[in-house]
Amino acid sequence: MNRNSVMMVVVLTVIAGIASLILAFVYDFTKDRIAEEYRKDFLKGLNVVLPEFDNEPDKEAVEVEGRMLYPAKKEGKLLAYAVQSVSPKGYSGDIVVLMGVDLEGKVTGIEILKHAETPGLGNKIETPHFRDSFKGLTKDDNIAVKKDGGNIEQFSGATISPRAVCEAVTSGLAFMDKALAEVEK
Amino acid sequence: MAELALIFVGAVLVNNFVLSRFLGICPFFGVSRQVDTAIGMSLAVTFVMAVAGVITWIIQYTVLNKFGIGYLQTIVFILVIASLVQFVEMVIEKTSPDLYKSLGIFLPLITTNCAILGAAIINIQSGFGFVTMLVFTIGSALGFGLALVLFAGLRERTELSDIPYLFRGVPIAFITAGILALAFMGFSGLVK
Amino acid sequence: MKLASLTDGIFKNNAVLKQVLGLCPALAVTTSAVNGIAMGLATTAVLIGSNSVVSLIKSVIPAKVRIPAFIVIIASFVTVVDLMMNAFVHDLHKVLGLFIPLIVVNCVVLGRAESFASKNGVGDSFLDAVGTGLGFTFALFLLGGIREILGNGSFFGLSLFPEGFSPAILMILPPGAFIVLGFILAANNWIEERKRAKAGRAVTHG
Repeated sequence: MNRNSVMMVVVLTVIAGIASLILAFVYDFTKDRIAEEYRKDFLKGLNVVLPEFDNEPDKEAVEVEGRMLYPAKKEGKLLAYAVQSVSPKGYSGDIVVLMGVDLEGKVTGIEILKHAETPGLGNKIETPHFRDSFKGLTKDDNIAVKKDGGNIEQFSGATISPRAVCEAVTSGLAFMDKALAEVEK
Repeated sequence: MAELALIFVGAVLVNNFVLSRFLGICPFFGVSRQVDTAIGMSLAVTFVMAVAGVITWIIQYTVLNKFGIGYLQTIVFILVIASLVQFVEMVIEKTSPDLYKSLGIFLPLITTNCAILGAAIINIQSGFGFVTMLVFTIGSALGFGLALVLFAGLRERTELSDIPYLFRGVPIAFITAGILALAFMGFSGLVK
Repeated sequence: MKLASLTDGIFKNNAVLKQVLGLCPALAVTTSAVNGIAMGLATTAVLIGSNSVVSLIKSVIPAKVRIPAFIVIIASFVTVVDLMMNAFVHDLHKVLGLFIPLIVVNCVVLGRAESFASKNGVGDSFLDAVGTGLGFTFALFLLGGIREILGNGSFFGLSLFPEGFSPAILMILPPGAFIVLGFILAANNWIEERKRAKAGRAVTHG
């Protein structure tokens, strides 16, 4: 190797070395804050779907059949669990729903965690009005859009997205029915 | 198997890289004046995208995750892609001068094609396994090629049409792309 | 230092509107005015960093490995911006998502490093980065603002139209991005044309 190519390797190595050092430092500086932000995101969802609680549901989560249940407790008394439920039947891709279910199997609230529905049409499933229409329903209610003979109001121009949410809630409730019995044991 | 087929169709048509995810727009406008060059570019991109997808996937899971240095992802991936492009260029030049003549001019452009880096990052963010990753990457590349070739065909036509003076050249190209994107929106809802 | 280094990038050589570069982020994230500005400023931050560092160390980089060296420098700044945004403006980071790491392959950034910073001093390179960045931000704001008004009936999140008005949703969907930018570029042609016509008249009459 002549002097030039040695120089090339040296310069690139030095630049890459300095770059990784700086990045390691920045990463170290930001990593706790980033973890905290992701946790806040998740807690925001839990706050919406669960009744008022004073514990830390994400730290006290229990696992049932590979799915996590997040308990809401007030003054040590268990009130409800939050669980994630997915429907693959969204208009474009999976819809992930976080739902709260109390000990009698009633929905305490739902939140859409992830979806890729069309803005202006399918994404109306995010509106509080739509989400609130699930409150108080149980697995014995007919959770489906009105078009399918159920009791959930769909909105003009989009039936597929609300239908997928109904499906996610129904399967979530069926799972919770089993899971509640399991946890009580 | 059915799931893989869905991912493939989704990548080619529903979430088309160019028309719905906006990845690889620069070559989309840059080399779409003629159908021939568009096909050449598509082949080069498909090849580099597939190989880059495999290498970055392996690096992510055997090096970055293992040593907890995920924050170096961007820097490592772009270096892999840049050296890969250089390497491919050298190999093709040595082994097949004909192929080099037809693909050669596109290769340097591919490093800054965000579709390649974009695909590599989406593979990791979506948590794809190896086979899923391969299917998704090839589907995405074919989707890119499909959009590019269709668009080149449309542009060859608009070149010859009588277009309002102010819209000639780039503006009409964008509007044409918009209408093509609109047509591709018809595919959404196809996979469910 | 020359003032032209700053102003050239904003209007005369605007990356998006005049050179038609950096299109992926320009089209992808401009569903609202705020998103456009955020993406523009993130890119500006990377530009300032990479342009300054490249012009500082240009004399020690051998010409042959110039491009890889620039890419490493740019990628580092992108990662810094990515981490910082994730930590301090988390919600914006979620919206811009994939397009933050993709600043690495924004041809505008590499283009300025290669064609300006590697030939000019730190001061000019810094100004060039600020100018190019602001020009890019302005273009994204314009595109995002128009799409938000037409497609969502709002501007900076504030509703502009009475209840019951239904906006042209298409404009915030992917096809709208292409179409709006097409019209902006045509409008740009019109402005140029008028300028040229005026200059032409001045010459003949003068």
